[in-house]
Amino acid sequence: MFETLFQLLSELPPDGRALLLPSECIPMATLRRDASLLAQHSQLPKGCRIALCGLSPLKLIKAVIAFDGTVNVMLLLPASMDARTTNQLIQSSHCTHRIDALLDEPESIASLLNLPLRDEAPTRWLLASSGTTGTPKLIEHTLASLCRSVKRDTVCGSEFVWGLLYDPCRFAGMQVVLQALLSTSGLCVSESMDFDTQITGFIANKVNALSATPSLWRRLLMDGRIAELPLRQITLGGETVDQNILDALKHAFPVARVIHIYASTEVGTGFSVHDGFAGFPANWIDSVIAPLPLRVREDGHLLVKPWILPGGKEILDRVDADGYLDTQDLVRVEGDRVFFLGRASGAINVGGNKVNPEEIECCIREVEGVYDVRVYAKKNSIMGQIVAAEVVSAIEVEPEPLRKSIQRHCRSHLENWQVPVFISFVTALKETSSGKRERLPV
Amino acid sequence: MICPMRETIIAIMSSIADDSDLHLKSELHDQDVLLECGLDSLGFAILVAHLEEEFGYDPFSLMDQPYYPRTFGEFVAIYQKYAP
Repeated sequence: MFETLFQLLSELPPDGRALLLPSECIPMATLRRDASLLAQHSQLPKGCRIALCGLSPLKLIKAVIAFDGTVNVMLLLPASMDARTTNQLIQSSHCTHRIDALLDEPESIASLLNLPLRDEAPTRWLLASSGTTGTPKLIEHTLASLCRSVKRDTVCGSEFVWGLLYDPCRFAGMQVVLQALLSTSGLCVSESMDFDTQITGFIANKVNALSATPSLWRRLLMDGRIAELPLRQITLGGETVDQNILDALKHAFPVARVIHIYASTEVGTGFSVHDGFAGFPANWIDSVIAPLPLRVREDGHLLVKPWILPGGKEILDRVDADGYLDTQDLVRVEGDRVFFLGRASGAINVGGNKVNPEEIECCIREVEGVYDVRVYAKKNSIMGQIVAAEVVSAIEVEPEPLRKSIQRHCRSHLENWQVPVFISFVTALKETSSGKRERLPV
Repeated sequence: MICPMRETIIAIMSSIADDSDLHLKSELHDQDVLLECGLDSLGFAILVAHLEEEFGYDPFSLMDQPYYPRTFGEFVAIYQKYAP
């Protein structure tokens, strides 16, 4: 017998905070009632396969509570996904029903296919994994695998108010949703994923726990408004976390617990690092003291043995004979620490020399006057690719002297093929829909 | 007669050499072998990238049949040939 999300929430105090909107608090009882009404009104047959397309965070949360345990498959697709990809994924998942953004209108549910319906079983959640190159893959979870690392301590949880920055269609976003709901912390959500709206909501609700990618954290720090938040819990994940961002956050929020999480849609939450240093301890490799079995392959790929291995062919192809999954993350052991270098596929190839963008970004961030940077591949007819960088600088800094400082710094710390050929100055950096650095070569 | 395109190419080569601690030949002639002018292959990759910014095109990506010039004169001629 399995428990549904609705059942798990039914065990929690009805008057506990569930969702916090800028001007309204939705208690647990109301959230359950709304989800229950939605399940009744939708009249979806048991065992159908649904696609939840582009729902607002608030509507998506109600929908997953309403349909977990009832439907056979729940495909979560973010609003930022283009129509072609959305349709492709719906088709490849054999969805029988499509639910669009207008969840409260009956015509928002479209019947797509007449497939035989499955017997009762835990709902299979399909989440789109977005690699740094942006190619979506579908990774399968159940509520149990999604909740594996969620802490359900309501006493401790009630001290926190979580803000939702991530898209809840993504693994990291759903982790925040489940963590906040199941530990009765309030979850501050907004009707849209608009950055300004999110920040305004966080300030109005005095959010004190936030999870974001390093790129998003840099953007938040540059934005400055989060200085008003009484942050006690700062979580980083989804991208390589460098020492600079850890130090910057610790400096800005001295009382906050800063942790970085190694998690992915495929592995789930692998492990978290609490010591304030980038990377993770080298003595975790091939050791029983590690939070989960870890190995580093000869080519620098990090292998992990997840407690629950998600399904799907894409995953099985990456599992070795010992049951270790190739994370496709490149790592380097330096002394007593293992550092992440970036995605194997995100590396830039300069005439056969692989360049890890994150490594170059770390170097450039050391230069005074640099707020943030994105390193990417630029196509080149001589060497295949060359390295380019977009820099966000402090307002008072002159671009030309800064460009020279960056080049000088890079030349003294990097190989010559790692030094950015082009450095341009921008006011903000592009991120993928999942909040990671856009790394598509140009 | 001074060819502005040729002069621009030399100026950019010189700046790349300075930045990369390379020594460009003090005077460049058409018959000079490219890879003996002082820039290495990465230097030429950088040169082509900068020239694309400057002129707005990369002749090597426009060629139906890839052709890599051997001399400095050939290099300049390719840019002249593919100028829009």
